Amino acid sequence: MNRFICFSLIFSFTFLPVKSRENSATLIETTCKTTPFYNLCVSALQSDPDGPSADIPGLARIGANKVKAKATATLRQITGLLKEAKDPSLKTALLDCVDFYNAIVEYDVPMAIDAVVKGDPKFGVQGLNDAANEALACARRFENQPKFPIEGNNKVVHDLSAVVASIIALLL
Amino acid sequence: MAKSCFVGLCLFFAVLASHGFVELQASHHVYRNLETVQSSASADQPYRTGYHFQPPKNWINDPNGLMVYKGIYHLFYQYNPKGAVWGNIVWAHSTSKDLVNWTPHEPAIHPSQPGDINGCWSGSATILPGGVPAMLYTGIDPKNSQVQNLAVPKNLSDPYLREWVKSPKNPLMQPTAENRINASSFRDPTTAWLGPDKKWRVIIGSKIDRRGLAILFKSKDFVNWVQAPTPLRAAEGTGMWECPDFYPVPLRGRNGVDTSLNGPSVKHVLKLSLDDTKHDFYTVGSYDGSRDVYTPDKGSVESDSGLRYDYGKYYASKTFLDSIKNRRVLCGWLNESSSVADDIKKGWAGVHAIPRHIWLDKSGKQLIQWPVAEIEKLRANHVTLPTKLLKGGSVVEVSGVTASQADVDISFEIPGFDKAELLDPSWTNPQLLCSQKGASVKGGLGPFGLLVLASKGLSENTAVFFRIFKGQNKHVVLMCSDQSRSSLNQNNDKTTYGAFLDVDPLHQSLSLRSLIDHSIVESFGGGGKACISARVYPTLAIDNAAHLFVFNNGSEAVRISKLNAWSMNKAKVN
Repeated sequence: MNRFICFSLIFSFTFLPVKSRENSATLIETTCKTTPFYNLCVSALQSDPDGPSADIPGLARIGANKVKAKATATLRQITGLLKEAKDPSLKTALLDCVDFYNAIVEYDVPMAIDAVVKGDPKFGVQGLNDAANEALACARRFENQPKFPIEGNNKVVHDLSAVVASIIALLL
Repeated sequence: MAKSCFVGLCLFFAVLASHGFVELQASHHVYRNLETVQSSASADQPYRTGYHFQPPKNWINDPNGLMVYKGIYHLFYQYNPKGAVWGNIVWAHSTSKDLVNWTPHEPAIHPSQPGDINGCWSGSATILPGGVPAMLYTGIDPKNSQVQNLAVPKNLSDPYLREWVKSPKNPLMQPTAENRINASSFRDPTTAWLGPDKKWRVIIGSKIDRRGLAILFKSKDFVNWVQAPTPLRAAEGTGMWECPDFYPVPLRGRNGVDTSLNGPSVKHVLKLSLDDTKHDFYTVGSYDGSRDVYTPDKGSVESDSGLRYDYGKYYASKTFLDSIKNRRVLCGWLNESSSVADDIKKGWAGVHAIPRHIWLDKSGKQLIQWPVAEIEKLRANHVTLPTKLLKGGSVVEVSGVTASQADVDISFEIPGFDKAELLDPSWTNPQLLCSQKGASVKGGLGPFGLLVLASKGLSENTAVFFRIFKGQNKHVVLMCSDQSRSSLNQNNDKTTYGAFLDVDPLHQSLSLRSLIDHSIVESFGGGGKACISARVYPTLAIDNAAHLFVFNNGSEAVRISKLNAWSMNKAKVN
């Protein structure tokens, strides 16, 4: 009798519906699957202690704050380069990027977070889409320059902005 | 993609050169009192409007609380007093005698109660019996929930209604554990209407997951509101319904009627703003006032693929009954297509469209919109043209008007349809079709139309045009607004817009009217059957350096049966 019960238990566990095994996919993972840069999305959200327990608006806020942090750091990098720049065309390109990054840090991200918190997500999507576009605009400024010193950070700002815009779009 | 555009442009110019660059001669113009038209542009503000509504600076969005009171039009609107992006939202307020010139007042509604302490969002005016205006609007409460509040004028003898007082009972409608309304998706109350039981009804936009809803509330006294057991209407997969509008239109004629009217002489229109796509779409149908059920007519498309007020940049629109002129008027918001960095530099963002008179088409299947006639008093320097055949490959300049601040109305007749391309049955998305077949893509019958806000050498231009295809049993007219070469500044959104125009070019002339205003191109096809608005930011085609052309990049000649163009005088918009 015991062997029968034991066997039944093992048998039924083996054939548990596949769905329950997939319950282990977190909200971060399923959300990030809808974004254009899955790995970047997952690492950004998981690196925040509040990430694993956040809902979608919460993940959007975490992501937006990561964009702001990265953009702020990149802005510092740009102003540092400006101090040393001697070539006038390089200076112009850097100055333009200061404007673009100011827009991201002072306007796009704060507005987007406000929009998500208050429940008008289209302004959140618009803010992060603009942030991605500001990063693209900065890259264009360097098309005729021999080097693009902030290329790596600029790409992260762009890609992460696109990710967060996607996440907020889930709320529309 | 850029390469093929370049090649296309080269071919276009080659054809141009071979046909000769034909310019309208001065003798063909009829000048009447050549007036100096004041332009709004200054060297550092080339994009501010001459006659479209906008405040002196900062961010605006939705028009709110539209109404008439004691012979004066009132426009309230979402406004950020602190900057050029959305935020810190209050109800700014302007009044007008003519829907063209506006006088600003102090903001009418700003956060002051728990019900709106975190924001005073959109809402609508209802004129109560006795002529008393009442505003229902969405407030953001201390928990950041969306709730509905009531405000009434403080002093009814002030014709400008500058001050408003809020009900101490606010919020009057809010999400609760019982009603399970989504606290971040409950906003934009409409103008209320009276049912046969003498109770007020209002709808509020909402959603559950991706199901859009128009939640219905009823009230006897305009203060105590009870949710109806079912929404007025809902639809799957559309996402959030913002800025709903629900109103009757007469079957015949162009008059407006009271929002509470119902019966065999009217149809009803339910309009929604889709958060997901930022398009305003509507259906025409019937409203059962006793059961509070709205049923769109058979064949209606209740989604982003349905009928839109405008197939371009146009959102959060709202109608009101203009009791002065006995018409229903539509006002909408056009946000910027520029980058936020550029908006911060220029210090402002957002404009409103010219108010449109709307009425039901005689087919009963769609609405017609036309800029209110009052705007025509701004016209000056009338330029006209005798009937002319526009050969394939021509570009003809229209001189004598300020091309950056103009009103142009042109009609085409088609002498022959043999060269019209076949419409592939899979081409059902007009926006996509216009993007793939822009103005520089030569065609059989078309593209032909206008090049506005164009630089002298055409390196910048916004093309508004028609392209005619041979469809199954009839000819199909595609109307496009092509912004792809509107500006050399790459930081702008230069998306192309398109719509199918329900006009039979075999039996009717094809008309196109464009209102041009520095960074706005508002176009009306077929006398208002399809409207496309766009925001553009030329870097060369600014003020006196802007030009206006008529073009035909098809192989078939078309006849310009009528061309009227005017400079537009500056209006006092703020």
